[in-house]
This record gives sequence, C-alpha cells and structure tokens, in this order.
Amino acid sequence: MVDALVEIHRVLAPGGTLVDARPDSRVRAYAALRNPRGFKRFGVVNTSRLEMANDHASDNAIASAVREGLFKRGRRGRFWHLVPFSSLGELRDYLREHPRFVHRADWIVDSATRKRHSTDQFVIRRAVRYELLQAVRSPRD
Amino acid sequence: MVSIHMLVNGGAADSIGEVGRHVPSFSSALRPQPLYELGAWGGPSLVSGKRVLDIGCGDGRLALGVAPLATSVDGIDPDAEAIAAAKRNARTAGIRNVRFATGAAQHLPYPGAAFDVVVLSWTL
Repeated sequence: MVDALVEIHRVLAPGGTLVDARPDSRVRAYAALRNPRGFKRFGVVNTSRLEMANDHASDNAIASAVREGLFKRGRRGRFWHLVPFSSLGELRDYLREHPRFVHRADWIVDSATRKRHSTDQFVIRRAVRYELLQAVRSPRD
Repeated sequence: MVSIHMLVNGGAADSIGEVGRHVPSFSSALRPQPLYELGAWGGPSLVSGKRVLDIGCGDGRLALGVAPLATSVDGIDPDAEAIAAAKRNARTAGIRNVRFATGAAQHLPYPGAAFDVVVLSWTL
C-alpha cells in the first residue's frame, strides 16, 4: 500500500489532492427498518476481522506516507451510506455473501418483530470516512 | 450547465440507491452516488477544471460521475472486465473526457505530475 502511495505522489502535481474514502470500520453499521418517519434499528452489523485488519493496514500506510513527508493531512470527515433492501430476507442474503461484514447481524429486536416486518424495506446504514491529503514536494523531487 | 444544488445533493436526501433490487455485493450500484460522495468531500470545486485520476475505478461509477466537472478523468483498475464495462458506460453516456486503462496502483502508466486530484474511493 505504501508503494501505491509513493506512486500516487509521483503522478500528483505538487499541491495536488489525494482523496482517500472508504467504509469506516471503527463505526458500527446498523440493519434498520425504513419507515415513513425514518429508520428504526433492528440490529448491529459488525465488520469482519479481515476487513478490520485491511482498514488498519490502510491507516498505517497513510500514516507512513505522511511521516515520510509525501502528503500533508487535510480535511477529513464521515458520512452515512445506505444500502437498500426490499425485505429482511434480502438483507440477510447480502450479509451471507458480503466479505466486509460478519455474516449475521446481532439483532436488537425480538424474532416476532422481525417476522412482522420481514417483507418491509430495510437498509444497512454504514459510515464512510474520507480524508483529503495534499501532495508535498518531496526531497526526492 | 449542472446546478450546484443538484451536484451536491444528487437529487436525494441521502446516498440511498435503488430500493428493492438485489445486486451483487461488489457492484458499484451499492456504493454512494458519485455526486453525493463528492459533495461530502467538499463539493464540485474539488474537481472542477482539474485533471482527475480515479484509482480502482471499477465500472467507472465515480469517474463518469465527476467527468462533466473535470477537465479530464482517467480511471484505472486491475479488473479488465470492469474496465471494459467502464468504457461501455462512457460510450453510452456520451462522455468524451474520460479514459480507462487496466493496471495497478503500484505501477501507474502516467507521467509525473500528470494529475491535480487522485481519488481512492473504496480502494485503499
């Protein structure tokens, strides 16, 4: 990953901007029912260990590139991203096949409530973080 | 001319996509709308009139979304099938200031200082 950041620094004009945006595994994702008033949390969807490790490695790579003086940290933030599903079954199918998340939600509502709403619309609500990094003219240039 | 309001809000209050359609996990259809994402990062000024490189561009979701604002957009992805899809999508959309190439971030086939903005969206 650091190799890629060195290469990105090469193709960026001095003062140019690198945008690093990815799901934020430090923030819990939620399985939520969509209703006319908004969202009701039905469960917590945890990130898989592998993806947590990948995210950590990415964080380290960015930190290393900043330490080496290739980039200067700029603005950062987070926004919510909603992945829509037409039913609870569809959300479960998604979790079973998606490598980012563990394959089952930790439900915070009882099974009768889940059954009652099983054909309603659901979302997975997850955080996406971003950071802007400015390319610094390195001593190698 | 695209209005700023449309660009920032993408016509939606949140980044929700098409409801009720199950699509493969890796599909960019499950990612945020590009202009919504751009709005979160700081808005159109981030790419307006600039040379942009989208690394890990997949089927061109973000590259094609920001192309109308940028001077030029290059997209690169190691997946040849995704690049073929990106080229098809560009043709379909009639977007001419984008180029797509197969390749890895570790060996970018571009000269030095070729871009003003590089985007790693859901890539690193």
